[in-house]
Amino acid sequence: MDFNRTPFDVIVCGAGHAGAEAALAAARMGASTLLLTGNIDTIAQMSCNPAIGGQAKGQMVREIDALGGEMAINTDVTGIQFRLLNESKGPAVQSPRAQCDKKAYQFRLKHTLELQPHLQIFQATVTGLIFSGGAVIGCETNLDLKVYGRTVIVTTGTFLRGLMHIGQNKNEGGRLGDFSSKTLSASFLDIGIELNRLKTGTPPRLLGRSLDFSKMREQKGDASPTLFAFHDTRDSEDLFHVEHTGEQRLGWAPGTRQISCWMTHTTDQTAAIVRSNLSKSAMYSGEISGVGPRYCPSIEDKFVRFADKPRHLLFLEPEGLSTNEYYVNGLSTSLPFDVQVDMVHSVPGLENCVLLRPAYAVEYDFAPPTQLYPSLESKKAENLFFAGQINGTSGYEEAAAQGLLAGVNAVQKGRGEPPLIIARHEAYMGVLVDDLVTKGTTEPYRMFTSRAEHRLLFNHASAEIRLRDHAARHGLISRSRLMRVDDKIQRINHWLAHLESHRDHGVLLGDQVRRGGEPPAFPEAFLKESIEVRQQVLYRVNYKGYIDREERQIERLGHIEKVRIPTGLDFMAVRGLRRESALKLAAFRPYTLGQASRISGINPTDISLLQILIEAGRGGAAADEGAGPN
Amino acid sequence: MARPADTIAALATPAGTSALAVVRVSGPDTARLAAAVGGATPLPRAVRRGRYRDRAGAAVDEVLFTFFAGPRSYTGEDALEISSHGSPFIAQRILADLFARGCRPAEPGEFTQRAFLNGRMDLSQAEAVMDVISARGDRALAAAQQLLAGALGRHLGPLTDALLAALARIEAYIDFPDEDLPPEDRGLVRAAIRALQADTQRLLATRRYGELLRDGVKTVIIGEPNVGKSSLLNRLVGHERALVSAEPGTTRDFIEERIIVGPHCLRLIDTAGLNAAPQALEQQGIAKTRERLAEADLRLLVLEAARPTLPRTLAWPDDFSPANTLVVLNKADLAPAAKPPPALADFPFVAVSALTGAGLPALTAAISDQADRLRPADEAEGIFINARHADALSRAAAGLADAQRQLEDGGPVELLASDLRGALAAFGEIAGRIDNERMLDRLFAEFCIGK
Ligand SMILES: Nc1nc2c(ncn2[C@@H]2O[C@H](COP(=O)(O)OP(=O)(O)OP(=O)(O)O)[C@@H](O)[C@H]2O)c(=O)[nH]1
Ligand SMILES: [Mg+2]
Repeated sequence: MDFNRTPFDVIVCGAGHAGAEAALAAARMGASTLLLTGNIDTIAQMSCNPAIGGQAKGQMVREIDALGGEMAINTDVTGIQFRLLNESKGPAVQSPRAQCDKKAYQFRLKHTLELQPHLQIFQATVTGLIFSGGAVIGCETNLDLKVYGRTVIVTTGTFLRGLMHIGQNKNEGGRLGDFSSKTLSASFLDIGIELNRLKTGTPPRLLGRSLDFSKMREQKGDASPTLFAFHDTRDSEDLFHVEHTGEQRLGWAPGTRQISCWMTHTTDQTAAIVRSNLSKSAMYSGEISGVGPRYCPSIEDKFVRFADKPRHLLFLEPEGLSTNEYYVNGLSTSLPFDVQVDMVHSVPGLENCVLLRPAYAVEYDFAPPTQLYPSLESKKAENLFFAGQINGTSGYEEAAAQGLLAGVNAVQKGRGEPPLIIARHEAYMGVLVDDLVTKGTTEPYRMFTSRAEHRLLFNHASAEIRLRDHAARHGLISRSRLMRVDDKIQRINHWLAHLESHRDHGVLLGDQVRRGGEPPAFPEAFLKESIEVRQQVLYRVNYKGYIDREERQIERLGHIEKVRIPTGLDFMAVRGLRRESALKLAAFRPYTLGQASRISGINPTDISLLQILIEAGRGGAAADEGAGPN
Repeated sequence: MARPADTIAALATPAGTSALAVVRVSGPDTARLAAAVGGATPLPRAVRRGRYRDRAGAAVDEVLFTFFAGPRSYTGEDALEISSHGSPFIAQRILADLFARGCRPAEPGEFTQRAFLNGRMDLSQAEAVMDVISARGDRALAAAQQLLAGALGRHLGPLTDALLAALARIEAYIDFPDEDLPPEDRGLVRAAIRALQADTQRLLATRRYGELLRDGVKTVIIGEPNVGKSSLLNRLVGHERALVSAEPGTTRDFIEERIIVGPHCLRLIDTAGLNAAPQALEQQGIAKTRERLAEADLRLLVLEAARPTLPRTLAWPDDFSPANTLVVLNKADLAPAAKPPPALADFPFVAVSALTGAGLPALTAAISDQADRLRPADEAEGIFINARHADALSRAAAGLADAQRQLEDGGPVELLASDLRGALAAFGEIAGRIDNERMLDRLFAEFCIGK
């Protein structure tokens, strides 16, 4: 153990999807990083369904890739089914989704972490944090070993006082087979971090050879898969920072090993079983206090809240190539195990199936994310960052996105540099963080495209372009990749200008594209461009009117997003500011006027008053580079 | 940063008329002043009877003091109300004393402005109060009070809900493509958009009348020279406002006066006579009169009762209609049984004598009737929107129209959603920001999501 290197620049507690990205981002920026996990064998485990991407999440995975994260490439090379969702709709709302080989996904990511320079992984459970003068300085572990760090990132998922329910049966733990972290919650409460309860659930896992697929509908992957990573996964140049170790990591050429999912449905009998056993459900018997997600209801909820819907769709998703285990998407429940067995057997194709793991609901502590700055640093303790489910989110992608940002920002903080803050109009990642730290959440927060007011600009293929400047500024992608992105941007801009200024038979090429019908007489050179370049150009030309409108809006409202609220501002002394607003703002400490304007109960007059004050008093302090929340 | 505001005072009740006069004081110095003039430190929100003592120590009157400690006052600052007996003289002495003690006379609307700045009312409430302050005519006051009571916000509630429901129907299919949703029904969305368009248009249509109420009904008096237009204006105004003479061509420029007729406020505009054979200079004048006519809400076409012929220089019928024109047969003292010419048979008319005043009540009644007709037939519970509302609602209407077009053309669904979101944001500018959570609430209530 090289703990003599302490203090580390960054200590990451937890190696789930958030922790893994956080550790990689920090180490790749050159910071000495320690990743602590309670169990090295469950790194980046998919505790729920073995799939990555989908609506809004797929776009976010590509954004993670654009910022040098690992999730996209890891999904591509361990994917066993790829589908592009919403293919019939416009490019802005198309999303890639993939089933992954659960174990391959974990093993490859573990291997990547192991090979990462500047990163050290160690198996130990964090039992508490060490504070000094209002700042975190390290962690205590179950091994009576203390480690010290300039910054600490907490990514403990559902493990904080995790409690699992199967009917009346209760087990402590953040995930079936894993432990529950109890003392860490106390450590947070001690320094004034408020905690709340949330709940989520997972369906049973079934043995594949006991299923009758002939009674189900097959869902195949796309013949030509849409991948997540922007770069060629076989090109070693792109395997940022790990490329030169020469070790062969697990994985296969993307799309070469696709297998199917299967669709079936509940029956009247399923409904009857659920209804007659409702009182035994942990959720319906009042055992659970946490709030569950509306978008992922238990089967109990579905039959109760949508009583007139006779049947519900179920998907059987394979957990991998080297296992016969299947995940039943749509059958999350907290009913007792014997009821689960009856219920599963009432489904066509599952009449004789064998359950490998029961369904369960899990309750856990989360730290309401309004206690964070947009850098994901705690307002309550300096140098302490939070990412992932502990912030009240759900989903691997949401976790990974936060992890990456927390990793970058912990390094920036340690170096006294400004944080990476992505604006709402730049990426889903920006919407995610702003929603969390500004509005908070009362259910496990999942990204939807509808949450992004500028989603028309967020087509998945443009992530690399949208986030280019952030990636470059923080050195998150290799030089060669940055050069390729710049070349792509330049080509796109060239062709956009060309199509909007050249005519064929008197008609502007751009207008020909917008009019549809016959493909316009494109110049030969355009047709020779890569499909990525052509698609971006055509997308921007096609939607020009709408995209222009979005950009005007961003321009118009963008100003207040850049006005940084001075750290020491005394809101109570702002002339004309309502007392309620002043109190709220003083407690919240928003980062910019834009963020302040989104706090509930703050009205446009409040913002105008603050704006006048700040701009008059400080000569218009802008939030671009200089100011970090500290 | 906080610039110390001064303390302002003004009479809060109309001068001279009421049985009780209320003087209102607001600002940082109020508590000290209250103690000085009332002889005791005031308790917030308690009415206290006492003597008002001026700076010389003389008791001005027995009055009621009501002190409001900021921010729980109308303006959000410390405020004092002094009710004295109705004599205007007493109220004036109190005010004079307060000014001598360092208060500043309040500008019109300044109390409301402070209330707004101190967050005691939101923008649309403050606008409505300002309307009340400058309101002329009973009906304008009623419209302003409606707005103040949040009528527009309430009215927009169901519209916003309907729009959210339509949007949720579309968003469900965008965000949950893999779910087992019922077949998409664009017909419902189409019907909702159509209904919303109608509602938005109805609100927009109240703008013109709203403006009429606030700014006054623009009423242009026209006719040939010497028919008695200026005499008529003077009659209606009640004093010699315009120059009158037996010579044609007396009035050279526009003369404008405000009058109250029934529940309406009128902006009465006298014009130069329309000469049958105009000189070059007059021709310019006639062109200007035309411009005024085009903007007019109401025209009083003055003819001489003895020879009621149409002014020849008017490009008849122009845009004269029985709805916007009242024919006035003046000098009826000289030709009592006159009738308008056949070309104007459909038009409402009154015979008057600007000289004697005969027929004047009939004239004001007819003007009032005409003004009433400007009121939209299909009005929304007495709501009349202002320019800011109209701006937002026009953008909402544009968004809905674009959405309608996308639906007809079968355009990409995310563009349809974008248009509807534009409309929703515009509603939000009036009634307060609409959070996406509300759309999601609708969505999850309507559709069983979660495979
Ligand atoms: N007998 C009689 N004379 C009137 C009446 N109204 C106006 N006059 C007279 O008609 C003459 C013209 O009146 P004005 O009011 O100046 O007419 P005008 O239409 O404003 O004239 P210009 O400004 O020159 O176009 C004056 O001598 C008035 O006294 C009326 O009702 N009866
Ligand atoms: Mg005249």
